Amino acid sequence: MWAYLLRRLLYNIPVFIGILLLVMVALRVRDPVYAYLGKNASADTIEAKRQEFGLTRPFIFAAPTESQFGSFVIQVFTLDFSEDSWDHPGETVGDILGRCIGPSLALSIPALVLTTVISVIVSLVAASFRGQWIDQTLVIAAVVGMSVSFLVYIIFGQYWGAYLLPEITGYELFAINGYTHPSETTWWEYITYDWPHHCLLPVLISVIVAMGYDTRFYRAVMVEESGRDYITTARAKGASQAQVMFGHMLKNAMIPILTRVVITIPFLIMGSFLLETYFTIPGMGRQLILAVEHADFPVVQAFTAVLAAIYILANLLTDVLYAIVDPRVRLS
Amino acid sequence: MTGETHSRSLRKFLRHRPALLSLSIILLYGATAGVLIFSSVITMEHTLEPVAAFNLPGFGQQSTPEKRLRDVELGFRSIQVALSRKNPVEQLRNVKFGSLVLVSHDPEYLQSQMDQVDQVVDRLYHYEDLDQIVKDNVEEGSAVLKLLKEIESVAGELFTVAEGRTEVGRRFRLFLGTDKQGRSILLRAIWSVRVAILVGFVTGVVSVVIGTVLGLVAGYFGGWIDHGVNWLYSTFASIPNIVLLIVLSFAFDGGEFDDLLNRWTGGLMRSIVGVPVQETLIPVFIAFCATYWIGPCRVIRGEVLKLRELEYVQAAQVLGYGRVRILLRHMLPNVAHLMLINFSLLFIGAIKSEVILSYLGLGVKRGPSWGIMIKQSGQEVINGFYWQIGAATLFMLVLVLAFNILSDALQDILDPRHVG
Repeated sequence: MWAYLLRRLLYNIPVFIGILLLVMVALRVRDPVYAYLGKNASADTIEAKRQEFGLTRPFIFAAPTESQFGSFVIQVFTLDFSEDSWDHPGETVGDILGRCIGPSLALSIPALVLTTVISVIVSLVAASFRGQWIDQTLVIAAVVGMSVSFLVYIIFGQYWGAYLLPEITGYELFAINGYTHPSETTWWEYITYDWPHHCLLPVLISVIVAMGYDTRFYRAVMVEESGRDYITTARAKGASQAQVMFGHMLKNAMIPILTRVVITIPFLIMGSFLLETYFTIPGMGRQLILAVEHADFPVVQAFTAVLAAIYILANLLTDVLYAIVDPRVRLS
Repeated sequence: MTGETHSRSLRKFLRHRPALLSLSIILLYGATAGVLIFSSVITMEHTLEPVAAFNLPGFGQQSTPEKRLRDVELGFRSIQVALSRKNPVEQLRNVKFGSLVLVSHDPEYLQSQMDQVDQVVDRLYHYEDLDQIVKDNVEEGSAVLKLLKEIESVAGELFTVAEGRTEVGRRFRLFLGTDKQGRSILLRAIWSVRVAILVGFVTGVVSVVIGTVLGLVAGYFGGWIDHGVNWLYSTFASIPNIVLLIVLSFAFDGGEFDDLLNRWTGGLMRSIVGVPVQETLIPVFIAFCATYWIGPCRVIRGEVLKLRELEYVQAAQVLGYGRVRILLRHMLPNVAHLMLINFSLLFIGAIKSEVILSYLGLGVKRGPSWGIMIKQSGQEVINGFYWQIGAATLFMLVLVLAFNILSDALQDILDPRHVG
């Protein structure tokens, strides 16, 4: 297995370098210094800044440490994020990354887990009542739910959760915006109060949005699985409905479920971009969008690299999980 | 695909009622977009000009009493301002309230009307909260409503639709109410159909063409070409979609890209498009096409790998047909159904992404789109005004739902092995 992993890792290196190249080229279509300094900067200031940021170096055709591309690749692979941010003077890209990654994880991990658990359960229910009204309602609801924009869910979610709910109940359960780092309070308070206050509503919205897509997919998987011989055998043996569903079917459906979870990661990232922006949670997505708006070039570059790396590693992790879930899969 | 399977699929499709209904809805949207693109029934300027007071509800409903008072006052204030100037007649000619202008420009007549209205408004000011009174107190409430009607009818007599406009046109524009700048929600939602169909169609066609060409070539020739294409799509597929979209639309957003294009084409771009490139949909197109070609490419490459080993392809090779002929005559027709399915899926993806990009300020720059409408209505929802978000969501829901149903049907009919 280790040999397989190593090979996959090596295969992904050119892909990762390709991503870095793509991002760096895309970011240089516009002159980054010009975009950052604005129209009123004089030619001298722009030139000086360009010197300072090392943008006068050759882009790719030079010794790796001399070219912009080579030095950035080296920086990324040595995890050297000590470049200064343009928009936040005094802070390095690494500092910003460090403070943004926590809130992002606090939002996306619970969202991923909850979405998967809930939609698998709902899809099991739908599949076991296949063709009956419960199933049909769920299928229609899923298709309609998929056709409404993410933004509409966010706007109404925030309106109901953070505006109407306090008016009706008198308790301010959910915050409209903001975030409290665990370091600012105790862990106990963070888990019992701050996290639910700031993150639970966005997580719930994210779950509701993803439900439509996921339930539909998992239902199709379950329906396909439920036609197999081993299910008939289990039923013939006298296994109860719950045993058949959770004991036999769910185990065999794990591979498509795992694949699906990884496929939803980009979707999750997009969701957290929107939710972080809307609820002003200082995570990676919001920071990246702010950096794009303010032309904070080093941050955009580094964040894209990190997000792509996370995605590639997640893909790799799935392969390992395949082998753990299904012993027939040999990683060779 | 032989003629027989062709007609069998077609027959299946014609028997699939939901799919037929969806297709006709999509064609209706397409026709609307076509009319908007090739004629000037509705222009972008129409969607940007105010029609009436801000945040009016649709279906001819009335706002709350407080809001009605405020709307009427706004209209009268513009007259008041004009009257207080040195050359009132001149100023009164320029008074505009949405698409309404004054009937009479006689200062004395207007002044007398204004005085009359002021008295009524003063009486209305006695009440703390008009909405509350109308709701709680039947007697006083009806008195308040009567006073409101009185000043509204005065306003109705003073104002009339501007020259070249008709009352019917105004009704039509006010059918779904107005946004917070007094612009017609219906016109904006209809104009957005054009944006959505353009974005969906261009993205769908270009991405499918790129994906098909690369997929066919990679799958059929194999070897280094396959490795190259594989690397290319792994690269594009390993950046989370939204990040790539953001970076690309940022890249093609500034004036530099416009300068660059015009320098290359000798100003041709400017003379075709008319406005700087970053103000058109072109940056959005580029970002979407660069992101969405991966899906069709992966699917079609996989299919070609399978087809390549089939006897009929080998027979064609033995017969000495050229590679290009085999690719075009033997392979392409057999992946056509995948192209169609992918086109339909990409159409949905592009429309939904456009909304999100526009919300983030990276999508549509000039004129309305559903994304911009939804973005705008965030504040309105808190104030209890749902018309704009409702209109944008409904227009989008119908189109996307139709495409979702159509894609499902296409998948069922053309690709029965597919799961999910």
